[in-house]
Amino acid sequence: MRAFFIPFRWTRLALACALALGAASPLQAYPEFQQSVVKTSRRAVNCALCHSHPDGPEGAAPGQIGRLTAAEQAELVRARAAFEPNAKPNSPILNAFGNHIVQSLGKRRFLELRLAPEQLAAALPKDSDLDGDGIADAEEYRAGTHPLLRSDGAPWLLFRANLQRNLPQILVVLAATLLGFYGLRHLLRGFAATAPNEEEEDLAAP
Amino acid sequence: MKPQQTLRRTGDFLAERFPVDKLNFASMVGKKEVPVHRLSWGYYLGGLALFFFMVQVVTGLMLLFYYQPTVSDAHASVEYITEHVPAGALVRNIHAWASSLMIASVLGHLLSAFAMKAFARPRELTWVSGALLLGITFAFGFTGYLLPWHQIAVNATKIGLQTIEEIGAYLPGQMSLWPAAIKEIIQGEATVGQATLSRFFALHVIILPLGIVAVLGAHLLSVQLHGMSQGVDDKPRRMEKFFPAFLLKDLSVWGVAFMILFVLGLCLPFESLFAYPLFEPYNPKGSTPDGIKPEWYFFWIYYPLELLPFWVILAGQGLLGVVLLGTPWIFRNTNRRTLQVLAVAAGLYLLVMTVFGETIYHLFKG
Repeated sequence: MRAFFIPFRWTRLALACALALGAASPLQAYPEFQQSVVKTSRRAVNCALCHSHPDGPEGAAPGQIGRLTAAEQAELVRARAAFEPNAKPNSPILNAFGNHIVQSLGKRRFLELRLAPEQLAAALPKDSDLDGDGIADAEEYRAGTHPLLRSDGAPWLLFRANLQRNLPQILVVLAATLLGFYGLRHLLRGFAATAPNEEEEDLAAP
Repeated sequence: MKPQQTLRRTGDFLAERFPVDKLNFASMVGKKEVPVHRLSWGYYLGGLALFFFMVQVVTGLMLLFYYQPTVSDAHASVEYITEHVPAGALVRNIHAWASSLMIASVLGHLLSAFAMKAFARPRELTWVSGALLLGITFAFGFTGYLLPWHQIAVNATKIGLQTIEEIGAYLPGQMSLWPAAIKEIIQGEATVGQATLSRFFALHVIILPLGIVAVLGAHLLSVQLHGMSQGVDDKPRRMEKFFPAFLLKDLSVWGVAFMILFVLGLCLPFESLFAYPLFEPYNPKGSTPDGIKPEWYFFWIYYPLELLPFWVILAGQGLLGVVLLGTPWIFRNTNRRTLQVLAVAAGLYLLVMTVFGETIYHLFKG
């Protein structure tokens, strides 16, 4: 029991520090999540999984803090204060998936998960699929594939989802191919049937 | 030997390889017959490679309408094709899948032709033109890889071009400067940039297509003039008419290949097979991504390159080139059974290095 309570207090303390730092510091990035995804998925995942810029929020490139306009900075401050879920954050340094995480969990729960980043996937809504590729965002996060790229996902899951979605088109193309081949076969056989006659005519000619 | 004799012998050699008296419909189509035996499937691989090439031409032309070959717009134009052009994602995905399937078909065709001794007299030039087609196909893959101008493509191209320069260290005297000069000609400037993209684009959409059409024309003409090779030592089970029986079977294979390609293009994004999900535009200040590697069809040379000393790979490559172009003369007296064993061994090597290359690499490098 004692062993349980000590880490629990430390958790609270770490959370309080994180919240305090989060409110005061202009720069924030949470590499624990990236490291966790890389470890579990064994894929080369960078900050662009959740951030606007692949190198994270620090810097002066588009999508980074140094390039934000006054209006974007106001949005950033508002997003950082979104401690509870459903606050509709629109942080300019996060992409749609990053904002979706804060929207679904709230900043408080998200910061708690820093201590157990592997639990983030389980905490995300199961039915959300931002890129509409047929694989849930939580599943994509776990697999280290991008939740905003339709072309990125576990190959078999993507194939299955796309096959179900496109089955009518595939059947139409299959029918067209079969009919085209049927016609072509008769055309070529027709040509073949006339070819010997032409040869004979050539031989018969003076 | 006197020049006149050399000229006459060359003329005789070419006359035997390109018998113009057979240059008529009856010989090339009407009377042409194809042997039927246990290795007959090999005859369809060449046609399959041709089919995928035709798909590449059609889809490549479609992509040309939207693709912008500039470092500022290349990546955005590819994204635009994928996200906003109607059926753009399908066309681009089919182009990507067909390129890989074309290379696989060409490799399969090469190995099956080798196993069937399809290079034996008078088909030496058919083989040599086929070997050139293989080289052009690889060049298509290498140049096409850079065009989307993303972080992986540019860095992979840099590494590929750097390898050319490293050859200089193994050459004597003034020759040691040649690889660097060749690299600079290909690259066009001090590092991979706009000049490189322009040159790769020109190579990919004009020079290589013209080259492949010329060599492919000679290859197909030679195949039609000489007909299919016997393929096996025993007497074939039977002969079938090329037109229409074999042609119809060939077209059936094309139909199946088309359907597979269509389903793959529609349902399985080629990029999903990569371990790099985040294909952001190339950033010159960015670092080389971890675990960067070339397309799968270069694994057979890439992983040995990572494991063995460079000079070993260089010597192996040189030897392979000589053997590939000299096959009709080197293996002139080799029986088909030995050739089949060699072809299976080469095929297994390609398969193992492609599928398990990374595992083997980690096994040795830890």
